[in-house]
Amino acid sequence: MVDLSETHRTDSKVRPSAGRASSVVRARSEVVGGDPALRFDGVVRRYGDHVALDHLDLAVVQGETVALLGPNGAGKSTTISLLLGLLRPHAGSVEVLGTSPRQAVSQGRVGAMLQTGSGSGLPSGVRVGSALQLVRRLYRRPAPFDLTVERAGIGALLGRPTHRLSGGQAQQVRFAVAIAGDPELVFLDEPTAAMDVESRRSFWRMMRQFGEEGRTILFATHHLQEADQVADRVVVVNRGRVVANGPGATLKAAVATRQVCFVSRRPDEHLLDRLEGVTDVTVRGTGVTLDSLDADATIRALVRSNVEFSGLEVTGAGLEEAFVALTGCDAAPDQGRAP
Amino acid sequence: MSALVAFERFEVARLLRSWKFLAITVGFPVVFYMLFLNDHSPGKVVDGTVTWRVYLMVSMCSFGALVAALNAGGSRLSTERSSGWARQLRVTPIPAWSYVATKVTASMVVILPVLVLVELVGMAFGGVSLGVASWFELTGLLWVSAIPFAILGVFVGFMVTAETAYPVVTALMFVLGYFGGLFNPVGHMSPSLQTAARILPSFHQASLGLAVLDHRGLGIEDALVLVAYAALLGLAVVWKHRVEESRGLA
Repeated sequence: MVDLSETHRTDSKVRPSAGRASSVVRARSEVVGGDPALRFDGVVRRYGDHVALDHLDLAVVQGETVALLGPNGAGKSTTISLLLGLLRPHAGSVEVLGTSPRQAVSQGRVGAMLQTGSGSGLPSGVRVGSALQLVRRLYRRPAPFDLTVERAGIGALLGRPTHRLSGGQAQQVRFAVAIAGDPELVFLDEPTAAMDVESRRSFWRMMRQFGEEGRTILFATHHLQEADQVADRVVVVNRGRVVANGPGATLKAAVATRQVCFVSRRPDEHLLDRLEGVTDVTVRGTGVTLDSLDADATIRALVRSNVEFSGLEVTGAGLEEAFVALTGCDAAPDQGRAP
Repeated sequence: MSALVAFERFEVARLLRSWKFLAITVGFPVVFYMLFLNDHSPGKVVDGTVTWRVYLMVSMCSFGALVAALNAGGSRLSTERSSGWARQLRVTPIPAWSYVATKVTASMVVILPVLVLVELVGMAFGGVSLGVASWFELTGLLWVSAIPFAILGVFVGFMVTAETAYPVVTALMFVLGYFGGLFNPVGHMSPSLQTAARILPSFHQASLGLAVLDHRGLGIEDALVLVAYAALLGLAVVWKHRVEESRGLA
């Protein structure tokens, strides 16, 4: 379990209002300008009776690296399938690089790393190098072979038969496959699912570098830490809807960042409410919980105020708490899952 | 266009580099030819003027083509669909139909050397001797008439999963081989089995080749049945491909 809150965890619950969180964050993201790389307008996609995407709106500007964060079944893979034209929307419209998804794909302007379940996603009976060479030749203006190999860091794997790759290595090779055509826009669906911590780190480093060359990247993940650390912007989806949208830091701020808890015999709500950084005060008998935007300042003010208190605890609201608050999903799945 | 050529070359190279594929595709018809050659005396006339050694050679050419097509298409295609490679190709610039087209043509490319190899075995071990023109005519005819097999292989690949591919492919190989009269002269089979044979493409494919050697000319009925099979299976593949596409699977 990766600890996202930089402070001491307690068992106390953080549960700010989800409505407020998303409205605060949405206002900020709309400031972003530039040419659109992709656009979802009121997209609905059903599987039988199940509504996978429920009037989803999403816009990504060229050059952005955006994380699509959500629990399993939130609609992340469906979103990516629609962006690639593998699925058609039942309602609403999808636009990619100013054209239809299929058109963008056939022009070779899009690359993708899809989820493959237990399969490698690579052709059997060939070496990594020849599979990559083939993919290059399917594009009109591919990146130089050596450059793709370097970008994906798979130099050591080129001579290896595709069935002799570990899960993590296969994913690295599939990243190379995704970028072999030198695409402007790359979709990655849970790209680090089978990787260990070390390869995950180097994978994101390479992906960031690729993004810094002016590429637009949209990746789906349910690893909160990845979304926070790697993306310029995090779009949280749940049950087929966008529930929050903004930089990871803003998402965290959107849900009262810290909670300061202590026990006090005669808590004075009015006084506590005026302490620096405090946004909300909850008193239950002798138990006091202060929501604060600046826990350090609040504690300093608390000490100066001469309020007697004991059992002081500071609970962090990391992105994980934000995620829980926004999706109402208690089991935020952030285990470094082994394949 | 160069993209499709690259894809085609990749597919053919991948088939020819697979020991498993080659062992099955070449092994079955060649070994069966040697095994069954002395089931009857090789010189015995079994069909019109055609002797057993020639009949079995033509039959094993058909069988080889069938085995090649079912293994190139059926097993591999289903594996690729479940591994995610087929889907990965869908997000590259090549058109959706090219996947199916490349599979069918790759099967056709590998079928040709299989035919030639079985003919060489017939020549070397069965004592088959034909005129140069007859060899070319026979080979060309058997090759073109293997198109329904190639399409069948791809169709099977779309219908089965990676787990069910092996039994289904094996069953089809032997049903089409045995009931199509490839292991025994059709004339020696019971009337009901003879009727069954006439329904199967394998019977008509071999029959097309035998008719030429028997100087019966081009078997129009055989040709029509094979064209019908190719058309029906082709439509079935297109239908299945469309269904998968609409579900985002293909």
